[in-house]
Amino acid sequence: MHIKTIAPATKAPRPRPLSPNIQIYRPQLTSVLSIANRITGVLLSVGAVGLVIWLSAAAAGPGSYATVQQAIGSWIGRFLLFGCTFAFFLHLCGGIRHLVWDTVHGFELRSIYISGWSVVATSLALTVAAWVVGLCTGGWL
Amino acid sequence: MIIDSSNRVSRFNWLKRFPIPRTFNVTTESLIQPGRTWPAPSGATRTKAFDIYRYDPDSGDNPRLDRFHVDLDDCGPMVLDALIWIKNKVDSTLAFRRSCREGVCGSCSMTMDGTNWLACTRFISDMATPATIYPLANMRIIKDLVPDQTHVFAQYAAIKPWLRSKTPEPEKERLQSVAERGRIDGYYECILCFCCTSGCPSHWWNGDRFLGPAVLLQAWRWLTDSRDEAKQERLDDLEDPFRLYRCHTILNCTRTCPKGLNPGKAIAEIKKMIVERES
Repeated sequence: MHIKTIAPATKAPRPRPLSPNIQIYRPQLTSVLSIANRITGVLLSVGAVGLVIWLSAAAAGPGSYATVQQAIGSWIGRFLLFGCTFAFFLHLCGGIRHLVWDTVHGFELRSIYISGWSVVATSLALTVAAWVVGLCTGGWL
Repeated sequence: MIIDSSNRVSRFNWLKRFPIPRTFNVTTESLIQPGRTWPAPSGATRTKAFDIYRYDPDSGDNPRLDRFHVDLDDCGPMVLDALIWIKNKVDSTLAFRRSCREGVCGSCSMTMDGTNWLACTRFISDMATPATIYPLANMRIIKDLVPDQTHVFAQYAAIKPWLRSKTPEPEKERLQSVAERGRIDGYYECILCFCCTSGCPSHWWNGDRFLGPAVLLQAWRWLTDSRDEAKQERLDDLEDPFRLYRCHTILNCTRTCPKGLNPGKAIAEIKKMIVERES
């Protein structure tokens, strides 16, 4: 059977525009904590390289260890270490929240918001606590 | 700060949008141009500005953002009333879907002030000034606020959303206990407005293969129905790195559902059911 083809259009049809998504959608605690969990995960992977450098320096000898210790003790070093500590605790608390969700608990919107803000508050408190303990016991680095 | 039901409009708007360029990930045909301003009718005393996404497929122009000044004394209380007022009194070419005007049909879902909801159940008084109205996020646009939903409905069809039985048909109806019937409460009420799927960042990036919250909630509605006898086949179809597991429990879906349903929980139930059948 021969099927007549429709005459080709004179110009290609214009593709339909895609309505904006991330460009206009409001950040909410749900999406912000989700992306924060990802970003902190990436930061921790980078921070792990720093940990390896620190351990290698310690294994290499007192000279190189002192150099790395000095870098960590500098203003920028402490700032980065503080960031890594916060990233660690936020990722840890967020991970625990996800583990609870995997058991199908805490899905009511109220629970989602309470656990979300708890993650933020707990990770901030743990970061401060870790630094207070670290600075006190470590003799101010 | 603690939102206890999805109909609560957040008063604490610390960020209106993510700090990224407005052109981030936008192809040329989707770039939004500045539009025109339509003044309020003379004599109007109480007016409110609405920034509305416009796209005319016949003009060959890019989408634009028009500003309308709505006379609140001449208009009903809901955003849909404002849209109808604009269509009747200002610009009759404004296109949008609506039907029931009471939140049961799911036609007028759109992105209002950056979140998805039904225009008929969103109060104008809850909107920012100027109010911003976009069509449902991340959809191909046919005209103005009318998105092409072919893809999401095809995804819905893919989960075979009907009763699949193997046992011979009973003489009368298939019986359920009250408890069995109760298991589909909170899932059968879905009106397929696709507010959740359109608000899901994972569906924005992987919408071609990830089924999205609305469709997965429907999948769970059939999985948990005691009369359905295709549970294993349904799970086999869902167990896929993209179809189901692109859900990263972001939970924008549960935050935005205009019917107060919980797609996030439904998806977690499916994941749990898959784990349980494997153990």
